[in-house]
Amino acid sequence: MATGTSADKARRAHPVRQAAKAGRIPWALGLPATVAAVLAVLPLGYLAVRALEHGPRYAWDIVATERTAVLLGRSIGLAAVVVAVCLVLGVSLAWLTTRTALPWADGWAVLVTLPLAVPSYVAAFAWLSAAPQLAGFSGAALSLTLVSFPYVHLPVAAALRGTDPAQEEAARSLGLGPVRTFWRVTLPQLRPAAAGGSVLVALYVFSDFGAVSLMRYDTFTRGIYTSYRASFDRTPAAALSVVLVALTVALVAAEARTRGRAAYTRTGTGTARPADRAPLGKWALPSLSWCGAVTAAAVVFPLGTLGYWLAAGDSATWDPARLAETAWATLGVAAAGAALTTVLALPIGVIAARHRGRVAHLLEQAAYAGHALPGITIALSLVFFAVRYAHPLYQELPLLVGAYAVLFLPVAVAATRAAVLQAPPVLEDVARSLGRGPWRVLREVTVPLAAPGVAAGAALTFVVCMKELPATLLLRPTGMDTLATRLWTETGVGSFAAAAPYAAALILLAAIPSYLLGRHRT
Amino acid sequence: MTELRIEGLSKAYGPDAPNVLDGLDLTVPGGALAAVLGPSGCGKTTLLRIIAGFLRADAGSVTVGGRVLTGPGVHLPPERRRIGIVPQEGALFPHLSVGRNVAFGLTGLDRTARRRRTETMLDLVGLAGYGERMPHELSGGQQQRIALARALAPQPALVLLDEPFNALDSALRAGVRADVRSALRLSGATAVLVTHDQQEALSTADLVAVVRDGRVVQCDTPQQVYQHPADPWVAGFVGDAVLLPATADNGKAVTALGTIPLVKGEAPATGTALLRPEQLQLTDAASAAAGGTVTDVRYFGHDAMVTVAVDGLDEPVDVRAVGPLAVQPGQRTRIRVRGEALLHA
Amino acid sequence: MRRPSVRRLAVPLLAIGMLAPALAACSDEPADLVIYSGRNEDLVEPLLEKLEKELDANVEVRYGDSAELAAQILEEGDKTEAGLFFSQDAGALGALSKEGRLKPLPQSTLDKVDEAYRGSGGDWTGVSGRVRVLAYHPGKVATPPDSVHDLTGPEWKGRIGIAPNNASFQAFVTGMRVLEGDDATRDWLKGLKTNSPKTYESNIDVLEGVDSGEVSVGLINHYYWYEKAAEEGEDKLTAKLHFLPGGDPGALVNVAGVGLLKGAGKKEGEYAQQAADFLLGKEAQTYFAEETKEYPLAAGVAPEEGLPSLDSLEAPQIDLGKLDSLKETLAMLQEVGLV
Repeated sequence: MATGTSADKARRAHPVRQAAKAGRIPWALGLPATVAAVLAVLPLGYLAVRALEHGPRYAWDIVATERTAVLLGRSIGLAAVVVAVCLVLGVSLAWLTTRTALPWADGWAVLVTLPLAVPSYVAAFAWLSAAPQLAGFSGAALSLTLVSFPYVHLPVAAALRGTDPAQEEAARSLGLGPVRTFWRVTLPQLRPAAAGGSVLVALYVFSDFGAVSLMRYDTFTRGIYTSYRASFDRTPAAALSVVLVALTVALVAAEARTRGRAAYTRTGTGTARPADRAPLGKWALPSLSWCGAVTAAAVVFPLGTLGYWLAAGDSATWDPARLAETAWATLGVAAAGAALTTVLALPIGVIAARHRGRVAHLLEQAAYAGHALPGITIALSLVFFAVRYAHPLYQELPLLVGAYAVLFLPVAVAATRAAVLQAPPVLEDVARSLGRGPWRVLREVTVPLAAPGVAAGAALTFVVCMKELPATLLLRPTGMDTLATRLWTETGVGSFAAAAPYAAALILLAAIPSYLLGRHRT
Repeated sequence: MTELRIEGLSKAYGPDAPNVLDGLDLTVPGGALAAVLGPSGCGKTTLLRIIAGFLRADAGSVTVGGRVLTGPGVHLPPERRRIGIVPQEGALFPHLSVGRNVAFGLTGLDRTARRRRTETMLDLVGLAGYGERMPHELSGGQQQRIALARALAPQPALVLLDEPFNALDSALRAGVRADVRSALRLSGATAVLVTHDQQEALSTADLVAVVRDGRVVQCDTPQQVYQHPADPWVAGFVGDAVLLPATADNGKAVTALGTIPLVKGEAPATGTALLRPEQLQLTDAASAAAGGTVTDVRYFGHDAMVTVAVDGLDEPVDVRAVGPLAVQPGQRTRIRVRGEALLHA
Repeated sequence: MRRPSVRRLAVPLLAIGMLAPALAACSDEPADLVIYSGRNEDLVEPLLEKLEKELDANVEVRYGDSAELAAQILEEGDKTEAGLFFSQDAGALGALSKEGRLKPLPQSTLDKVDEAYRGSGGDWTGVSGRVRVLAYHPGKVATPPDSVHDLTGPEWKGRIGIAPNNASFQAFVTGMRVLEGDDATRDWLKGLKTNSPKTYESNIDVLEGVDSGEVSVGLINHYYWYEKAAEEGEDKLTAKLHFLPGGDPGALVNVAGVGLLKGAGKKEGEYAQQAADFLLGKEAQTYFAEETKEYPLAAGVAPEEGLPSLDSLEAPQIDLGKLDSLKETLAMLQEVGLV
């Protein structure tokens, strides 16, 4: 065998399995995927226009400074720490809730997904008001970790439920203790799930502005914001954003490598026997305390802080009618955002799961490209394109919904891809042989089989859309408010008592899909 | 009745990779059940995927009933080929009931016709009344039969079966195999069964195509393939073989086991004589041409395989012994040969 | 029941998604005037409602951060929907003026405001003013210093609170650069840095820091104290304010102001013009004085009781339009290590 890529070798080694194929992507999938990918990379076009407005030399001078390196180092450092802690939290909680005889395991499984509903700026605010000395790196890392660890927990828990316990039993019979079995057999199987979640966490950290600005920790994104606010010159912000895009592409490529050649689909049709739950024995109490501590820090504490604000504030500030109206509008745009994002993510997710090769890779990377960009950059790029080429849509709901799709496409793509990987590809072959074209196969076989996972992705997208602030501020129809923008308005003048109901409503409403996510079983 | 004709089919996975299929030719007459038999990696799954349209061939053509499906500049997508497939382990759609699985390919029909056809097909595979069940409520053998009903329902020109009995335990296998065979016969469809199990191929198919290194080395009836294999490799692959160095002498082969009549036809002057273990017989009679020492006995119940180190032969030979067994390892014995031998160069 | 999970989720999702646009359509009659407001909704909404009544027109307001809205207006160019930009500070207005996005204001409008509080190009004007002050904790500071220059002395080490990322602090530093030059400003910032000041995210946080005694003095805008006093009661507030005398750069008067946007149509432009005049009228000026505790700049309205009059303040003389050189200020803050 002469030269060849690792994918080629993998294919040669398993011509039967065909979990991923290099074959050409049917247009019925490729076309919508391309549309979605083009939408996702629109902001990059804008960045190119703005960054090069004054010539490449000018842009280079902005980027090639010591401060850029320092900020980049800080962002990467923060992301590394947050990802590491998220992995510890996410994997430990996933294992405890799926594989051990933890008391109230199902209840905990739901509780530990609720932090998804907490906006990073609310978490940061709560911690800061309780412990001002946290300001800086530790506070930023703490609040970001506590809101983003479910990104790791959810896919890892799903993977733990999906793995065949027979392999672990084989390891035990070969003389490995439970701990070494976990390290050598279970953990390696969780790698793709954990890596996918880690990328989302890292990109979330890169793009976050709320928590780092409250915690007064200078990161790359904060530098971009400062640049907009201080210079009124969009070129430096755009040039810096390009660096962030490059970082994202590198990260996504690295993640794709960790997937390696592993085949994900189980070959049997019979469902794997559910794993026996390991008795915890003397570890029951420490395990319970661990779950309790995480839940307390990530959910109870921010909610408690809001309760304190409510109690301490002036009741005259609170307007139930307005709150209800705002909540309803928020649900509407978030639902529309989740629906559009899921639809756009579907073809890309299917291609990413079913095809290998350059085009498939490029499409998936395109979906991720803008994910680390600060919301303001995405919003301005859509302003740029909409006023020029789609003026009737400008400052109308469809544009805002489109912005959500651009911002959160990777969240839905990751969920779709993982779900499709779980569905045996041979079923699609059978459907083709029975006279269905690729499009109908997608609709009648792939999507229904992947439905629980796709729905989980939609719920996740729904939650993050509800929390979104910077793009909502710029792109919402004039006069429309979401819970997040009201929260921003009230905290902007320091009326925390008035802000608390909006923050509480945001968390409680977002808790519903989080709850469904926690209950979700694949 | 639709004939499958495959000519000069070639396929390699990548420009630098070796050919998985290397100019493969195969013709299956309409209504026949052909088994494609070969060891792992011989290209039989690739062949099946090209016929079904999931893979593109580098060269060659696939014609079904005179309709070119794959050929130079032609590649019909799978959904327009009218080829049913029965994958390994059935692969029923887990989200659809048994009835809906069977009806999946019945797109052109109205509701009543569809239901009637579904019932006919369930009846055909002996599972009438199972339409409302979900796939996971069926046993492995039942799932496999539903998979066949699903493939046959749209009256395909050709049915492909990809090692369909692999996942079944051996007790069940023979029964399901017979059911599938009779269902295929009743439907009249042309079928190709891909397998690496020579017993399955010989017992199920009308025609066995032995594939090695991307080519069909022999395609014939099961009996012909077994009794008159094209070369010693095929002989060894389709069954147990006794291979002896031999010289030809006037229609006979002179071997260490004596002089054996040769199968009629062309034969080289020297070569390897092929016998089947059941042609050898253990005997005490001094008239037998060869003697040796029993080195191993494997007992199967209905028969036994006895390995004998024959005097003057480097390799031991296998003898299939039927009936009560009288020998033990270490014992001396003699061997008699019945029937004809095949001489390969 | 073929695809239960998808349907169960998709139907409500789509239903809500469809309803939301309908909901938004309720207010979908075309606006006569769109205002982009960098000023907080809670502060100016009642005033803008009065404006709507006064103009007898449909006025829509988009709230956001002043700088982000300025960036948005620059991206929108001539196609902007906004007729009027109501900015939190002079810097954003100066930036739009420099990019040629603002229409010249008629002299009659400009004449209502002292020249010191409007753009030198005549295309924007301040409508309300705020003064940089020194907040101090009386228990920790007997006599507050009279100049920000005193804060570089060693006795203030660890006792100063600032919000260096806040636009108001950066405007103050920019003012100092305009007044005293870059070198003097850099030296002052270095001296400040040596005293390891405590940095907060906002003026409110600085004030809270002073009030709780976490720091002894803080640099803030005057109205934060008055708002806090109004919300919590003056007697509950420990922190006190000191207005720096003698034209000290620490006593800079910055303004919130308005500019008319070039992209607006003729009719909208007329409404925008009327809105600018309304904001400089007696009713609005009184509102700023009483509700936001800012300094009125026109119509002869007096500031809130307890506030020294604008004329009595010994504020530094400065062209507010020059406060748009924030970029250099930021570079300096970064160089010194305060942000």
